[in-house]
Amino acid sequence: MSPSIQVIVEIGCSLFAAIALIYIFLPGRDADTGVTKTRLSYLYERKEVVYDNLRDLNFEFKSGKFTQADYEGMRSNMESEAARLLAEIEQLEAAKA
Amino acid sequence: MPLLGSFCLLFALALAGYSFIAGIFGVARKDSAGFRLAETARRAGIVTFIAVTGAALALVWAALNNDFSLAYILEHTNRALPTPYKLAALWSGQEGSLLFWSWLLAGYGLVLRLRHKIDPRLFATTSTVLAGIQVFFLVLVTFVANPFGIMGSLPPDGNGLNPLLQYPEMVIHPPMLYLGYVGFSLPFSFALAALIMRYPGEKWIHITRRWTMVTWLFLTCGIALGAHWAYSVLGWGGYWGWDPVENASLLPWLSGTAFLHSVMMQEKRGMMKVWNVWLVFITFMLTILGTMLTRGGAVQSVHAFAQSAIGTWFYWFLGIIFVVCLTAYIKNRDHLKSENKLESLVSRESSFLFNNLVLLAACFAVLCGTLFPILSEAVRGYRITVGAPFFNKVMVPIGLFLIFLTGIGPLLAWRNTSLGSIKRNFMVPAALAFGLGVLLIFVGLKPWTDLPYFYAWLGFLLSGLVVTTIASEFIRGGLVLKTKLNTNLAAAMVHLTRRNMRRYGGYIVHVGVVLVIIGLCGAAFNQEKEQEMALGDKLQIGHYTLVGQEYTQDDNANYSSEAAILDVYKDGKPLVRLTPEKREFKASNQGTTMVANHSTLAEDLYVIYEGKNPDTGHPIIKAFVNPLVIWIWIGVLVVAFGTGIALVPNAAAVKAPVASAIAVVAMDNAMQPAGAGK
Repeated sequence: MSPSIQVIVEIGCSLFAAIALIYIFLPGRDADTGVTKTRLSYLYERKEVVYDNLRDLNFEFKSGKFTQADYEGMRSNMESEAARLLAEIEQLEAAKA
Repeated sequence: MPLLGSFCLLFALALAGYSFIAGIFGVARKDSAGFRLAETARRAGIVTFIAVTGAALALVWAALNNDFSLAYILEHTNRALPTPYKLAALWSGQEGSLLFWSWLLAGYGLVLRLRHKIDPRLFATTSTVLAGIQVFFLVLVTFVANPFGIMGSLPPDGNGLNPLLQYPEMVIHPPMLYLGYVGFSLPFSFALAALIMRYPGEKWIHITRRWTMVTWLFLTCGIALGAHWAYSVLGWGGYWGWDPVENASLLPWLSGTAFLHSVMMQEKRGMMKVWNVWLVFITFMLTILGTMLTRGGAVQSVHAFAQSAIGTWFYWFLGIIFVVCLTAYIKNRDHLKSENKLESLVSRESSFLFNNLVLLAACFAVLCGTLFPILSEAVRGYRITVGAPFFNKVMVPIGLFLIFLTGIGPLLAWRNTSLGSIKRNFMVPAALAFGLGVLLIFVGLKPWTDLPYFYAWLGFLLSGLVVTTIASEFIRGGLVLKTKLNTNLAAAMVHLTRRNMRRYGGYIVHVGVVLVIIGLCGAAFNQEKEQEMALGDKLQIGHYTLVGQEYTQDDNANYSSEAAILDVYKDGKPLVRLTPEKREFKASNQGTTMVANHSTLAEDLYVIYEGKNPDTGHPIIKAFVNPLVIWIWIGVLVVAFGTGIALVPNAAAVKAPVASAIAVVAMDNAMQPAGAGK
């Protein structure tokens, strides 16, 4: 490598390092700290999943995959699970209020 | 360029180190100062990508400009090497491929760090884990396997690229495989981060699901391209030889596939949390093991590099990962308590569980067979190699059982399936599959004559079962929507797929797997014949007659070659002219075979020119008739298409109102297709 190219490379590397350090250590003041996930937000997520499971079940029943007895048993189980979730959500929301 | 490359590597290492350490302190502190520190760690991770990119570009630049002052470029390129293969030099040697690993990891890290607003805390912890992995690979390429080592003198030309790698697919295969290997760092980092921070719920699984699917797709394509390369270049008539490096890529694929299935149980039912976390951990460790086997020279393979000290680093890294994972698990295992239990052995859950057990059994068998030479050397002082017969004996029954589970899984209900529902769902697919089995016997397949024939017959039969169960899923769902939307069945099935891309995309993936299995079953009926062929001589194999028409020689800057020009007749009628070739590369003094392959949906006529008999001077031709091989490649394309479908978000997602009463949700959404709310 010729000396002049070597100097250009050295200057380029130094410049890159300087810009990088400025970028890293002078971040904007709007750094997003996020929120700590709570039991309540988890229960909301879980509730959506149970509702989706119910939709799945209903659709599969309509498509003829299950007998009436199977469907009713599974639906009853899922509705109980959803009811438990809703009860806990209600309880936590009441406590928060 | 060596100066620039070395600077970039050192700077990247410093940045990754900072990102790791600042990340640890940042996420450990829960105050605003901690978040500011984590933010600097995130930004350092972003700049790491730019620095590693600089190093990779410096190496590529050196390759393109024949800078033989670099030992790596001297070893892996030469002046006459075509430009695409010079680009491939980045991953053709140990040092370059580790730099490539680092670059891909930094690239994945960049995407992760740019998407941090999805969940800043989870992403900050994940980014820190990723930075730790990055540090390891940058230490390797900076201090142990540096691709910017300089030669004492400047040689006029390089040693050239390994001839086996001078094939178009070899430009794509390693990057694909590496995208798969490296990509599993992300699910691993998310899983470890979620465990360490006791992240509530399954959101991390939703976030990582797509990463895992993309990674799995890359790994699948990488493995398939490798198999196709082996078929097209190695010239032994097969596509999978249970080579240790092939096996190394299969291991994380098997455990990753298990994870993609079992993760549904966690999402749907909050079950198998410990299992899933360890599946991700194991998959990542297997990718590191795979990289070690390929790059560390621990095993002897057509792909592997020579023995080097780098293997010791990987052993230590694997040990550290295991200790970190185990510690995190022991400390937080109460967080992984399952929310539901397995209610019945005849349920969707149990089918997933069996699927996982079978996949892990396959993984364990391949791992044992692959590591056996190393273990035997450690215990007895000499290597005992486990060959294809062992793997075939173990893996074929496992694979068939897996296909059986693929067939029955979708027809089972979550929680429990009664005998009535089983009858309702299985009668038609089972009858059709049985009918297919009888038909195959009727057309001449005699499964009782030989074990491979029996396996092939069973493979076809089970493939029929899977296809019919999948078809029944589409048709049943389509019929419901057909009535509701007042449209035709095809449009209804498209609508059905668009409402739940993941589920129906998954079914398409299963169809692709079935096609691959059909292609593999064809191997039971392979034929081969080798013969000296003077001009005008004939070689008869199956329905084909090969006639030697001409033998030629050629020479260019990169290689000299000999080729046979053969006219092929099928059942006496002219079919095609094939030109198998043998090349001798000048820079490396190594030879390679260029296979001539006439491929149809029914079979491949695969012909190799093996050189001349030194005694008679006559060319030796070897021909294979390999039935159904093309279905393997078609199947992989279908798998890729299905995965692509599964990655697309659902159309017209409908969310249930938060305040809806359970009964109302159950009734009002009765006509919604499965998963419409996702």
